[in-house]
Amino acid sequence: MTKVIINGEEVDIELTKWEFNKIKDILNREPNLTETQMVSVMYSEHCSYKSSRPKLKIFEDAEKNYDYVLAGPGQDAGVIDIGDGYVLAFRIESHNHPSAIEPYHGAATGIGGIIRDILCMGARPIALLDPLRFGSLKDNPHSQWLFKYVVKGIADYGNCTGIPTIGGEVEFDDSFETNCLVNVACIGLGTIEDFEHAPSRAYNPGDYVILMGGSTGRDGIHGVTFASRTLTEMSEEDRPAVQIGDPFTKKMIIEATLDAVKTGYVRGLKDLGGGGLTCATSELTGDGNTGAEIQLRKVFTREPGMTSYEIMLSESQERMAFIVKPDGLEKVLDIFRKYEMAHAVIGRTDDSKVLKVFDNGNLVVNMPSKALAESPTFKREEKKPSYLDNLLSQKTPKYSLSLEEIIYNLIASENICSKEWVYRQYDHEVGVRSVVKCGDGDSGVLRIIGTDKFIAASVGVNSKHCFLDPYEGAKGGLVEVCGNVIANGAKPMAMVNCCNFGNPEIPESFWYFSKAVDGMNDFCRSLKIPIVGGNVSFYNEDEVTKTAIKATPMIMIVGIIEGEKNIITLPFKDVGNDIFLIGETKAELGGSEYHSVLHNIEGGVPPTVDEEKIKAIWEFLFELYNRNLVKANHDVNKGGVVITIAEMCFRNKLGANLDFNNCYGEKLRDDEFLFSETVGRFVIEASPKDLDLILDLATQFKIDLKKIGMLISKPEITISGIKSKQFKLDLVKMKRLYDSTIPNLMDI
Amino acid sequence: MNIKIAVIQFPAANCDLDAIHVLNNVINVQADLVWHNHFKESNYDAVVLPGGFSFGDYLRAGIIAAHSPAIDEARIMLKDGRPVIGICNGFQILTEAQFLPGALLRNESLKFSCKWVNLKVENNKTACTNKMNVGDVLAFPIAHGEGRYYTDNLKELEDNNQIVFRYSTESGDLTEEANPNGSLENIAGISNLDQNCIGLMPHPERASEEILSPKGTVHGKLFFESIIDFIKRRVS
Repeated sequence: MTKVIINGEEVDIELTKWEFNKIKDILNREPNLTETQMVSVMYSEHCSYKSSRPKLKIFEDAEKNYDYVLAGPGQDAGVIDIGDGYVLAFRIESHNHPSAIEPYHGAATGIGGIIRDILCMGARPIALLDPLRFGSLKDNPHSQWLFKYVVKGIADYGNCTGIPTIGGEVEFDDSFETNCLVNVACIGLGTIEDFEHAPSRAYNPGDYVILMGGSTGRDGIHGVTFASRTLTEMSEEDRPAVQIGDPFTKKMIIEATLDAVKTGYVRGLKDLGGGGLTCATSELTGDGNTGAEIQLRKVFTREPGMTSYEIMLSESQERMAFIVKPDGLEKVLDIFRKYEMAHAVIGRTDDSKVLKVFDNGNLVVNMPSKALAESPTFKREEKKPSYLDNLLSQKTPKYSLSLEEIIYNLIASENICSKEWVYRQYDHEVGVRSVVKCGDGDSGVLRIIGTDKFIAASVGVNSKHCFLDPYEGAKGGLVEVCGNVIANGAKPMAMVNCCNFGNPEIPESFWYFSKAVDGMNDFCRSLKIPIVGGNVSFYNEDEVTKTAIKATPMIMIVGIIEGEKNIITLPFKDVGNDIFLIGETKAELGGSEYHSVLHNIEGGVPPTVDEEKIKAIWEFLFELYNRNLVKANHDVNKGGVVITIAEMCFRNKLGANLDFNNCYGEKLRDDEFLFSETVGRFVIEASPKDLDLILDLATQFKIDLKKIGMLISKPEITISGIKSKQFKLDLVKMKRLYDSTIPNLMDI
Repeated sequence: MNIKIAVIQFPAANCDLDAIHVLNNVINVQADLVWHNHFKESNYDAVVLPGGFSFGDYLRAGIIAAHSPAIDEARIMLKDGRPVIGICNGFQILTEAQFLPGALLRNESLKFSCKWVNLKVENNKTACTNKMNVGDVLAFPIAHGEGRYYTDNLKELEDNNQIVFRYSTESGDLTEEANPNGSLENIAGISNLDQNCIGLMPHPERASEEILSPKGTVHGKLFFESIIDFIKRRVS
């Protein structure tokens, strides 16, 4: 906070003195209170990306380098051309701070916001995915409260709007206890024509500016500046900065907006999210190189007596701004009338390049459009945290339990156990597109009705790995999330990310961000995955306990499957089929579930990524797919290879005889092999008649592949070929443990 | 004959397009999406009230939609024997409009629940079960938070053979475990006395295509084909 004098009064603002003076330079005069607060919002970290922008410049220009990328970073959502006249729009963003204070409405309005971003691209939202982070649930009522109401908020909002929640990811770790993470992703499907109709710019002078949807109230004022600070003990008082969602109105907005876009009269479209009317009008005109006159009292308000500053800064939900051609005004308004959506023509664009806001005839804002839309940036210092070297050199203690007991402990652990408790609350089938449903695959798969194309989408990253090594951790996240869509048979098409980090003004926190961005950049360039959008959430720290969250560069990948026959699912199918492990296993237990659940340590050597090997494995898998050789596929993830195999056995109540002879050399111990979280590995099922062919192809593609066993009808896993004595796991017991952990903690 | 079915679009109905898709593209019958204020019964042979959250389910699920002009139109169809079908939220609307007896309460778990269940056919004389056999077990998914059926007049319902579907195991047993929401006597769907008005919580439109169905069943098709059959027989 900075104190400045405006009109002779001392006011607290969220700008630095330098930023305030810069505004004075641009205007050549003192800004008034409304103008100052508008600048304060637009220059907030949340709106301006002032700390992250310089770093994010290292990403390649996706729109320029990939023909099929139609919209890249900086737009409301990334858009790719998937052929047959269709486009996909998708984006992921955070709603961490509101959810940490008010989990139900925080999460719900997070969903509301991301839906609007997709809608802005002229696309119908068809899927939601929600990666979440909380503190450990065990003996922690606060974490249970956050978890319960975040899930309920997502469910109530998503279900009502009729958008299926097809995927997500949850991790529990005490660094998220007060500052939970709620990331929300949405995918939209549209036609190229609709996408081209509705850019997020007001580029034509003389068009009408229409506000449609919910009324403007005093909720959420300065929500973005709240999001751009760390949570403090005072945050409870910020509860009014959390908006209230109305999914019913949102559903009407979706239908009315899509109908309006179809008329062809909408020339620009922008949602009102963070920064409210200020952000929408300044970005529309700033990006469109126009100006506008806005009549503030045309805005329909929820309560009388709102000041110009409150109307311009309100973050009330469920509002959209339309830029409409003059000759189509009535046609567009008729659509809003049909849906009984409140609306008002609040102004017109002009060629002045100045945003002028009138309150009952008084000019209350008079600023160049671009001054608001283009904020200054800051170069932040970065420094590797001193504690890391110690952590990285931590050794795995000797284990006292039997391997069998360790596996039973792992399958029941919060981070590995079934998340069915979560996804049952989400309507994941509405829209009749969900082909691979929650629990049946590593990603959610949707059909595109009328084509033989399928969309696969997945989100995730391993926060514990990123905490130890953000560069390799971010790459590992990409390997895993790409692996998830590949396991279902999809080619990864594009990536969007949501960077959740601590305070960027602290060099150690900024180092995590910087390294994670480097990791994403290097991996995406070498594997040719365009980065089409991103969101940065800083200040995820708790000032009371002085802890930063574990770095979480959340990744979402959208892939395409051509042809129904190429869809692969997770469950094992038939007794007698062979089981293969693809990819080399290394002694990478740093940040593993084995370390945290069994040994209560966070350190060790985390997984590293070899892009060339990953590439070879992916190409090999697609060769197997082309030849129809794969019956089931699941990537090896938390807990290691045996957990992966158990998860594949559950659905069809099968078992497996496993022999790990020749799978790992002298150097690796049993626990290092069995519980390693080396990324980029897959377990596949294939028919025994194809064994020789698969082995030949593996040699040809120069990849590590071992036949590790066979499927049996008895629900048990036997494990031999290890250094210790062979042992047996009861899959009925494993399934019970897998299913009961979260219900036992939550349904009491 | 040229059969026409209306699917009513209440504000925030959200399975409306799904029902339209299945009727048009899977059953190959003409189905129109009709905005609730624009619905005229005289144009249609049957009406489907689709799933969703009509009017946000504010106040109580289905109650606001039950006062829509579309319901006055549907009442004319109800009386002259044309099929009036309510799926999920549509079922809630039909009980609120008193086309069907009873009420749908919060699930026993107090949570929304989305999963595939098994339904046992109890009555195959209705407008949407005449192509099924009594005792058939169907696989349909549910997706609701308020689907626990309750009535004070259970005996009357049973005596009049108004119970159409019950939640069951795959082999047709009516167990407590097979009941996903705590419905009275595992009731999943009921009809009126004339058997032309049926409401059910599960979603036949999500179970009409092999690609969407975990076990490749398409029992939802039987549901919609029964409606077509009923219309044809009624007219002839």
